[in-house]
Amino acid sequence: MDPGKFLLFATGGLADAAYLFIVAAGLSLVFGALRVINMAHGSLYMIAALVSVVVANRLGAGIGFLPSLIAAVIVAAAIGAVIEVTVLKRVYGHEHLVQLLATYAIALIIGGAARLIFGPNYRTTTAPIQGSLTLLGYSYSVYALVMIVAAALIGVGMYAMLLRTRLGRNIRAAVSDPELLNASGVNVTFLYTTVFVIGAGLAGLGGVIVAPSQAVDPTIGDSVLVLAFAISVIGGLGSIIGSAVGALMVGEVISFGLITPATNSFALAFVFIVMTLVLTVRPWGLFGRAET
Amino acid sequence: MSRGFGFHRWMAAAGAGLMVLAACGGTSSSGGSVTFKGTKNIGLSIALTGQSALYGHAISQSMKLAADDINAKGGVNGYKVNADILDDATQVANAVNNIKSLILQDNVVAMLGNVTSAQCQATSPVAKQNKTLFIAATCNSYQLTTEPDLVNPYYISIVPNTFMEGTAAGQLAAKTGAQKIFIVSPKYLFGISETNAFVAELQKVAPNATIINNPSTWYVPFPTNPRWDSTINAIQAAKPDLVYSNIFAADEVNFITQALQVDPNFFQKYPMTTLASVDELNALGAKYPLGMHLYQRAPFFALSNPAMNAFVTHYHSVYGEYPSDWAVMDYDAMMMYAKAANAAGSFDPDKVRAQIVGHSFDSLRGYKFTIRAGDQQANVGETVGTTGDSGGKYPFPILVNSTNLKGDDILMPAVIMQQLQAGQCEKTPGTASTTDFSACPAWKTS
Repeated sequence: MDPGKFLLFATGGLADAAYLFIVAAGLSLVFGALRVINMAHGSLYMIAALVSVVVANRLGAGIGFLPSLIAAVIVAAAIGAVIEVTVLKRVYGHEHLVQLLATYAIALIIGGAARLIFGPNYRTTTAPIQGSLTLLGYSYSVYALVMIVAAALIGVGMYAMLLRTRLGRNIRAAVSDPELLNASGVNVTFLYTTVFVIGAGLAGLGGVIVAPSQAVDPTIGDSVLVLAFAISVIGGLGSIIGSAVGALMVGEVISFGLITPATNSFALAFVFIVMTLVLTVRPWGLFGRAET
Repeated sequence: MSRGFGFHRWMAAAGAGLMVLAACGGTSSSGGSVTFKGTKNIGLSIALTGQSALYGHAISQSMKLAADDINAKGGVNGYKVNADILDDATQVANAVNNIKSLILQDNVVAMLGNVTSAQCQATSPVAKQNKTLFIAATCNSYQLTTEPDLVNPYYISIVPNTFMEGTAAGQLAAKTGAQKIFIVSPKYLFGISETNAFVAELQKVAPNATIINNPSTWYVPFPTNPRWDSTINAIQAAKPDLVYSNIFAADEVNFITQALQVDPNFFQKYPMTTLASVDELNALGAKYPLGMHLYQRAPFFALSNPAMNAFVTHYHSVYGEYPSDWAVMDYDAMMMYAKAANAAGSFDPDKVRAQIVGHSFDSLRGYKFTIRAGDQQANVGETVGTTGDSGGKYPFPILVNSTNLKGDDILMPAVIMQQLQAGQCEKTPGTASTTDFSACPAWKTS
């Protein structure tokens, strides 16, 4: 494969990895701190994507993107807050099956509500940044490159927040030793709500970023949820670096896998084979920590 | 105030009365003076969610509209017909469960087909086992009516099948004069079947044209990843004269959107011949590229006639949308069933079938179609053309310089159909996706 082609497919994989990382990071953060597997995470992604498309189209493509991003992330975060306060607080500490069922029910409710409010049809919007650039003889979408850069910045920002801020320290404490955190005087109730809102906001951010490059309808959250789970499991639930590495692996496996004749049929399946291998060898993921 | 209160109480009582009547399931009335003996269900398991939700939405709306129109004219054999619709989320297993439920619990008198050929491949045997008429107006692989293990005497197809569509697409591609063609297709029965027909026709009408990507890369998993970077990249790397595709619904919308982001002139550099419907045009609106070479099953704007125009007006007034190709064909399916069952004077599937096979029916498409014996395929046409500006008439591009290919001109030759049904064209007996008409003795000698 010539260097131009390699760069082309590698960049395609990075574009895939970009939005998947943002979504998976939110899912992973919530599980790491709250020990909740949030089946409604994809629904928050979907709602934000729909809201952003509606707002962007109403205000006009280009200038409408930033307001649409803010509006959509606020909506996703607000719904997240409502879910956490009204439902999740009642199921913390219960076995995972109860949490799974509760969040799955929420996903169904949000999906039904989205169909009623937005209708079942696909919606599309225009990317805020148009144009392409040519490298080694091949064209690249500037918006896809912006997605990659945005995901990297979000990753760095989240890492800095976790390492350098009081909130981050508390979240890390919640991930590694929730009992000790409880005993240390931290308002754990508020911390949990905050973490869930951040997770919901990240799901929303993923939805907003991907919306200009794909058809948006009330079902788009389903497939992204599956991939986000795979990424979180591969990288390690609770680890931002793990989410980044997991997303990178999944994105590149899909990009190179789909175009290689021998692996074309198995590219998506290979993601889950990797996940199964990781679960077998290192059940807590590549960058996760084993629960004691 | 007291008058309003009384009115509401009266309405509540009337509503309750109607509910009791409906619950009893006996004689009821609808639409003024029409009196019915009861209600008969016509079933539909359709994708209201999932990859093909875009199509299922239009199909379900059209089916309800057709049921209303049939009932307004007295129903079928004195019975009111009810559109009994279940969501299968574009999943094969759900479609099978739904069909069983519709037949065994809801006692449907007939079924309309699902969206995807993979679903119809799984549901047709259930309909056959239960002797339930199954009218396909969307799923269209020719194997569904010719593969020996799938042939079902109760299966009627009123949609141009993959042989007919692939033939139409091959002729359309040949007209462009393209020499280097890149194929992208969904990897399941429909895609394989239609691509085989396209390649066979292309070899016949443009023998100098070559397919430049390896056959093992023609197909993408279905449903696939929403991002199409790898396919877009592969097209850029291959630099074809023409891209042939039969990807559809969300896949087509996503592919076009992302290709335009990579290069706003992508479809000028790499022109495309692709399957499309009003739904994809509507979803992308003005963003749908102009100059695309489309083949469509029933685009209302290219099939203008009094019946179609009245339908479009009616559909738009009820739903505020323009009817998709699927809406047109499923409306035809309902009307065909009603006419045949009325002619049979019965809901017995064998008697109704006898009134369908070999008979001709009016179509919104502006011509009569006939269901031929053997594969029970209608000689319906395909519309081909190039996308152009609608001049503000519609919020999406339409086909300009379109041609409505006649069904008889693209219908599979009877001898090939018979050889397919006799199992003479299968690589692996019992595997529908390996059945290929170009492997038939009659095709090789043609």
